[in-house]
Amino acid sequence: MDLVLVGLSHKTAPVEIRERVAFPEEHLQVALRRLQTEAELSEGMIVSTCNRVEILAHGQNIRSKIVQSIKAFLYSYHALRPPFLEDYLYSHLHQDAISHFFRVASSLDSMVIGEPQILSQVKQSYTSACRAGSVGKHLNNLIPRAFFVAKKVRTETRIGQSAVSIGSVSIELARKILGDLNNKSIILIGAGKISSLAAKNLADEGIQEFYVTNRNPERSKKIAVEFSGQVVPFEDLQTYLLHVDIAVVSTSSNFFILKKTDIEKIIKKRKYKPLFIIDISVPRNVDPSINELESVFVYDIDDLQSVITANLQQRHQEAKIAEEIVIEEVSNYRKQMSTKSAGALASNLRSRIEEICLEDLRARRSQLTDTEYAQTEKLLKKAAHKIAHPLVVHLKNPDENPTRRLRTMDMFKKIFKLDKEL
Amino acid sequence: MGLFHSVAAFVSKKELFYKVAFASFGIGFFLHSSFLVYRGLEISHLPLTDLKEALAFFAWAVSLCFFISYIRYRIIPLGLFLLPLVVVLMLGTIFIKSSPVSGNLGSSWIYLHTICLFLAYAMFFVTSIAGVLYLFQEHELKAKKPKMFYYWLPSLVLLDDLFYKFLISGFSFMTLGILAGIIWAEQDWVQGWQGDPKVIATMVTWGIYLLLIYLRLIAGWRGKRVAIISMAGFLSVLFTFLGAHYLGGLHTF
Repeated sequence: MDLVLVGLSHKTAPVEIRERVAFPEEHLQVALRRLQTEAELSEGMIVSTCNRVEILAHGQNIRSKIVQSIKAFLYSYHALRPPFLEDYLYSHLHQDAISHFFRVASSLDSMVIGEPQILSQVKQSYTSACRAGSVGKHLNNLIPRAFFVAKKVRTETRIGQSAVSIGSVSIELARKILGDLNNKSIILIGAGKISSLAAKNLADEGIQEFYVTNRNPERSKKIAVEFSGQVVPFEDLQTYLLHVDIAVVSTSSNFFILKKTDIEKIIKKRKYKPLFIIDISVPRNVDPSINELESVFVYDIDDLQSVITANLQQRHQEAKIAEEIVIEEVSNYRKQMSTKSAGALASNLRSRIEEICLEDLRARRSQLTDTEYAQTEKLLKKAAHKIAHPLVVHLKNPDENPTRRLRTMDMFKKIFKLDKEL
Repeated sequence: MGLFHSVAAFVSKKELFYKVAFASFGIGFFLHSSFLVYRGLEISHLPLTDLKEALAFFAWAVSLCFFISYIRYRIIPLGLFLLPLVVVLMLGTIFIKSSPVSGNLGSSWIYLHTICLFLAYAMFFVTSIAGVLYLFQEHELKAKKPKMFYYWLPSLVLLDDLFYKFLISGFSFMTLGILAGIIWAEQDWVQGWQGDPKVIATMVTWGIYLLLIYLRLIAGWRGKRVAIISMAGFLSVLFTFLGAHYLGGLHTF
């Protein structure tokens, strides 16, 4: 009996393979039940997202057999023929399975390291498995532990803190310049799709005043209504730039709409109150040299991208710390589990030894008087405990490492024929 | 006691676990505060009458400022810059020998004078550090290649707010301290105190900060220029505080 993880992810399989083996959520319950019966598993859970399909399972068979039966299930469920998946599937056994699962939940195996969705996806998968009744005491121990590790990684490292998309990086930069975005004002210059998307992101952060300006007032009206903003004439742009905090520029103009000389005058009049200009238009609509002016920060699409790159690098740095946390937690978990099962084995061992000692006495029950029987039984029980004691102490030794303890446990199981499941 | 405080402070800036670090700083600060009170009761006036005590008090004032700014703004790197000064000052108290100032120490004006000035100096120190941190963050944002400080430091607006608030309060305390000093000198001190080098240096410092407030408030200057002036201001503070001690004159500290 062992713990096994079989699956494929964005690291091993392209999307056209991943989509072939994905489990849609509405079919998950049925799939889980089929998995359990077809693969003869005692417990199982399926995690299926757009970037991975993984089956975490616990079974009574030997490891390689469990892996084989899970693979067979994948082929039969998705009506595929071996060896179609062989190049893409990976399998992890026992402690590697634990470690892989902890890493996945902590978003260390994600395409964008540190992205927060994976944890809720794993949580959802667990809920489905609970509903289908396909998880038992082993996975019910392991899976919540992975959630704990993921939370620990999130709080003890900065893995998920920096922004890695154009929208979120704009907000991050706006915060770094302007602080709290409540009560800040923004002007949208140009009413394209991208700028309205950027506006939506910023509006979600509690920006209060919203102005839209465009050469074509009709289109600005549409956006203005959407964000309960105000349409202002394009000619008045300079006036509004005197007090807004953020300007998002995205027009189809072929020349600079904001020129250095204009902004220089404006920023002086603003008494150097910081101004954040995001230029998402290509070709650019904002003179990049405006960035040299004091208290003005101009970011074009490439600049935003370079911040994203730096942020991703930072996430990779943090991931190193996170990996150490995972290693430590895997070892903690294994220690705890092995202590627990050693405890269970120890009590079985005690009763088994007692059984052996009392075997012959029971056979001779009729030849003895009640008092004789009771006295002998008492003595033999005492002897059984004395024999069992050093074995139990050895088994429960808290300093023993989990692998060696497992070996000892296997040995005891063989010697004393304690093969029923613990 | 002071040493313990500096050790705690030292731990704070090295330690990665900020909560632990801040707790150790808190303990150090508390012990330092209670030591000041204890010493005050022991000699039955404020322990602020020689250079040694002055350094210790200055260190305490810087710690107080760090405490307030941390509670208010949660800028962790601030400690990295503020606390080493506390350490240096506390080490200074161990190695420097000095004699008490002459004149009537019974007057409460002298204590108002020294307390206000030291609080002002500590605040000006925070101001100049805030200016430097503003420069760092501004540089990161202009360069568009975020490095360590980008992630560590808070927003420009917040740093500017810190800068401005400590500048204004520091200036108010300084003005109050100078006035108290003038009153005490007129009442109880020697003739010709107006020509004392330290008095002159103080007035220069006061002038620099007046200029800084003007530029920040009326012209809206931020960033590099005000950061440089605030550093000049603090150098002038250091000169006033320590330089005048070696130049001689009527102030012993």
